[in-house]
Amino acid sequence: MRHPLRLLVNGERRALEDVPDSERLLDTVRWRLGLKGTKEGCRSGECGACTLLVDGVSTLSCLTLAHEVDGASLTTIEGVARDPVGRTVQDAFARAGALQCGYCTPGFVLALVGLLKERGRTAPTEELLADLSGNLCRCTGYLAIARAVAALPREDP
Amino acid sequence: MSASPRPDAGPKLDGTAVFGMDLDAPGMLWAALVPSPVAHGRLRSVDLAPARALEGVVAVGAADLPTLLPGVGDPDRPLFPTDTVSYRGQPVAAVAAPTRELARQAARAVRVDVEPLPVVSDVEDVFPEWPGPAADASPHVEAHVRARDGDVEAVFRTAETVVRETYRTSSIHQVALEPHACLANVTDGIWHVRTSTQTPFGAREDIASLLGVPEPSVVVEGTWVGGGFGGKGSALLEPYALLLAKATGRPVKLALGYREEFQLGRTTLPSVIRMETAVTGGRVVARRVRLLLDVGNSLPGRDFATGYSIGFLLGPYRAPTFEVEGYAVRTNKPPFGPHRAPFAPQCVFVLESHLDHVAREAGLDPEAFRAAHLWKEGDRTPLGQSVGPFGLASAFERARALASRWRAEAGPDRGVGIAVGFWSTNSGAGGEARLRLAPSGVTVVQGEREIGSGSVIAGVAAVAARCTGLSRELVRVAYEDTARAPFDSGVFGSRTTAAIGRAVQEASCALFGELRKRLEAPGLVHLALADGEVVVRSEHRQRPVRELLTEAERAAGGIEASGRHFGKGGTIDERKVEVGTFYPYTDFTGAAHVAEVSVDRGTGTVRVVRYAAFHDVGTLIDPATASAQVEGGVVMGLGTALTEEALWSDDGRLLNAGLLDYRIPTLGSVPPIEVTFLEGFAGAGPFGAKGLGEPPIIPVPAAVALAVREATGAHVTELPLSSERVARALKLL
Amino acid sequence: MATSFELVTPDSVEAAVAELAAGVPGEVVVLAGGTDLIFDLEGARTGPRRVVSLRRLPWRTLDWNGSVLTVGSTLPLRALEQDPEVARRHPGLLEAVRAVGGVPLRHRATLGGNLGRAAPASDLLPILLALDAEVDLVGPNGERSLPVDRFLLGSRRTAITPGELIRSVRLPEPRPSAYLWQRVRPEHDISQIAVAAARSPSDGRWRVAVGGIPPRAVRLPEAEALLVSAAAPGRALHVAAEQAAERLPIAADRRASEEYRRHLVATLLERAVESVAARPDGVR
Repeated sequence: MRHPLRLLVNGERRALEDVPDSERLLDTVRWRLGLKGTKEGCRSGECGACTLLVDGVSTLSCLTLAHEVDGASLTTIEGVARDPVGRTVQDAFARAGALQCGYCTPGFVLALVGLLKERGRTAPTEELLADLSGNLCRCTGYLAIARAVAALPREDP
Repeated sequence: MSASPRPDAGPKLDGTAVFGMDLDAPGMLWAALVPSPVAHGRLRSVDLAPARALEGVVAVGAADLPTLLPGVGDPDRPLFPTDTVSYRGQPVAAVAAPTRELARQAARAVRVDVEPLPVVSDVEDVFPEWPGPAADASPHVEAHVRARDGDVEAVFRTAETVVRETYRTSSIHQVALEPHACLANVTDGIWHVRTSTQTPFGAREDIASLLGVPEPSVVVEGTWVGGGFGGKGSALLEPYALLLAKATGRPVKLALGYREEFQLGRTTLPSVIRMETAVTGGRVVARRVRLLLDVGNSLPGRDFATGYSIGFLLGPYRAPTFEVEGYAVRTNKPPFGPHRAPFAPQCVFVLESHLDHVAREAGLDPEAFRAAHLWKEGDRTPLGQSVGPFGLASAFERARALASRWRAEAGPDRGVGIAVGFWSTNSGAGGEARLRLAPSGVTVVQGEREIGSGSVIAGVAAVAARCTGLSRELVRVAYEDTARAPFDSGVFGSRTTAAIGRAVQEASCALFGELRKRLEAPGLVHLALADGEVVVRSEHRQRPVRELLTEAERAAGGIEASGRHFGKGGTIDERKVEVGTFYPYTDFTGAAHVAEVSVDRGTGTVRVVRYAAFHDVGTLIDPATASAQVEGGVVMGLGTALTEEALWSDDGRLLNAGLLDYRIPTLGSVPPIEVTFLEGFAGAGPFGAKGLGEPPIIPVPAAVALAVREATGAHVTELPLSSERVARALKLL
Repeated sequence: MATSFELVTPDSVEAAVAELAAGVPGEVVVLAGGTDLIFDLEGARTGPRRVVSLRRLPWRTLDWNGSVLTVGSTLPLRALEQDPEVARRHPGLLEAVRAVGGVPLRHRATLGGNLGRAAPASDLLPILLALDAEVDLVGPNGERSLPVDRFLLGSRRTAITPGELIRSVRLPEPRPSAYLWQRVRPEHDISQIAVAAARSPSDGRWRVAVGGIPPRAVRLPEAEALLVSAAAPGRALHVAAEQAAERLPIAADRRASEEYRRHLVATLLERAVESVAARPDGVR
């Protein structure tokens, strides 16, 4: 069965027709909306590469049915710079060299933005890092990512 | 750490970087591979009709190859087997369909009729005892190597202490986060494929050979790569995607699911290693090493592992009398393929653990014992190569000093271990690069993709900056596909910065020669920035580059100069080789690592509390990417050391395909890592640089194992050091 | 196609119950957070015909009524994890919740879903047993409640009947509790063995449960009996732990051998009890 789907994606209204009930949000975002920045890794909720924000909450898009978020506001890596928190995180990652191949990077950025929104900017680094354990990286060994998190400004911009 | 962000940070942080998995084209079809359901069997039939009955599905099998392909391909490596299947998942057909779901469904619909044959799942199935002279005739022996110097048995008989041990190491996977993926299109006789690859030219060669088409008719365009670690170093999916593109006349996308990544992946397979060492008067007097390496469904003549890796069971230590023998044994698994520093971390784990054990058995201080035997510059390797500039002994001394401090601070149930390793900067066949000088700066035109390590985008840029004298901001590294780029062997073997860097050096010499002519300057010229553009200066003159360009060059973007570097290695003493091929080293790169662990004596769980890595780098080309390689390599090594293990069943099935049951390190398990670079012992790369992509992973499992031994006395002779194995070694069970 | 289905999203409990009651079991399944269901459906050859989403139902709730905690079945685990009262009064539950996947997963995973899917290695079931949790069900025949111990029948089997839904999970009293596990790596992993321990302040008795052993998490009544007097560390606790481990029907699997799992049960049991005893009101 297929149904229409309405989403607000990075601030833009998108109306999609005939989206199968069984479609994963990951595939809707990548193939219908053409936003390839959200990555497909394991497709089983283990790696976190598919993390995006649904109504500001970090979510594994590979384990979410598209229709379950009908009407929601999505933020993907392509739109994260619209928010000062998003830009801060991108900047911190760039300065800390917290990426190599870059495949896990969008997932980490979105997961971290979600955490900052949820816990606030003053959340201790150790707690933020503990809460990032759901995102895997194979290149960096995580230390540069930890340095990026530690270097985040703790006051409002 | 990094003053300015990597040049590729932008697209990777804003989502615009396109990886193989992201490839898309209008009218594209999705492909899927039809896997063999058993690990070994006689193929009776492959019935494609049920797949073809689905709307929009095109299916190809062995019978279709003569119509689709002009040539014969490689008889040793048929795209689809016609009589025997040799590993589970081996592609026996391929399908294309309008959607990914339909392609999967079509692949499942194909009826594969196989008569099962006995499965060889383990090297010890083939050789429960060490192979005898008849072994060479066995169809399971893919390669056999042996070398010796002196009579090991005679020395063993009269030695004070002889220690004999058997070790076992596991299969591990590269686990790049991005699965293999490509998009193929065949038009006007050009077989074009965009793909996530470490080796565009290597892939081109493979594809041409597998499809039986001339190399110039194959164009490989690399995308950004979501990790390779050796797993994307040859053509895997591309030939199938191209075949289907030919069959359908449409672009065809083939991407693996994550389970398939594990099942089809070509990587390090298990081994059994026997080590025997004799000691007299505190010195090693003889050593014997025996290696049984599982190479899966590897093809005859393709073994590189045995003759190369076996050296890491001997060096970097001197042994007056030795015998080394290895067998590459075929089993019903996918072919052995390169992982980061292929099989070296496993060898070093075995060698360091063994020598540590030998010292303890002989009543000697383990670290002093190892230090006394380490190669120094000018020593001869067991196979007679002269050891070039080698910083390992210095690195080891630095490591020992640090380890002493850590030991003094360590509490109960803690231990500190030191391990050393060495590597050689691979040359590959060589590489070419072009430098294009424009008024705005210089571009390195070359054929390698930046796969993540920074070796291309930063390392090569750094070399070009040094060669040309321009600042980094004025240097750009451009990637071109195989039709347009100069040849290079690929991003592997820690060779990239060295090989392309050398080619850049050559190109730079040619460029400056040309600039001298154009400036009509007798002496040296150099480049500088003046009024916002690049100028060429000699002692008495200066002209902007802009004025020195011909019309054609203005149109082409600048003056171009080409450089080429030919790979060369050392030579070994063939008189010591009795059987098979051994490989020489091009340079000698050392590493000494220190691990401090805390062991839970109730459960056997090992936690690495802190870590230090000392690396002999020759000349540090780009500090930020160098540190990043060490951190990344060490953490990958921690996975090999503690948690990574691919489990194979007796019927050749991979039991833990997938990230849930195959565990790579997570953020929470990473210790602080101190990184120190030692410069001054020159290597094969530009300005004396040594390759750094692989050395950081090599000593890690050994360092952890020795730390565990120091903490608890537990001597584990298998990898990984799972909590259960440590619990057993602690006699908890 | 095999893995395509119809998704329905009823907006009332009655409508949801009616959807389920009308369907053939196995052909109709419930979707809470989906983190287990969709994981299973990925790459599966067959699947349900119809999926009933609970997202519109009013069950994303967390209520304290005196000392009784009622968790709505579709409340995301992250909300449970972030509640300060839960951390204070049910520390073992917090430890267990934090053991489930990572934060993005816990933004969707639910207690009700976890209980309903009854995976043998679920990290939430041992602590629910140790806390004497009750499952509140609603169905075509009205409402009923069952202790979790009677709700879990086996591996992926529960006492739920066609048309029934889990409405909430109730924890009758705060207890000093602990949840310990053994895994291959410290986070984001499935437990080889897990032990939950709790001590009831009202009757002073211990509850101990083991997870990670198929078919389901179980209480250890004999160990509990031996622990009556073993609030302090020492031989009695050690003996109780070993005996409990001996008696369990443990088999080897690819995560661990039989002997090692037995050893882990004994070790973790001792540690969990010690940990609880050291907590406020754990009695030490």
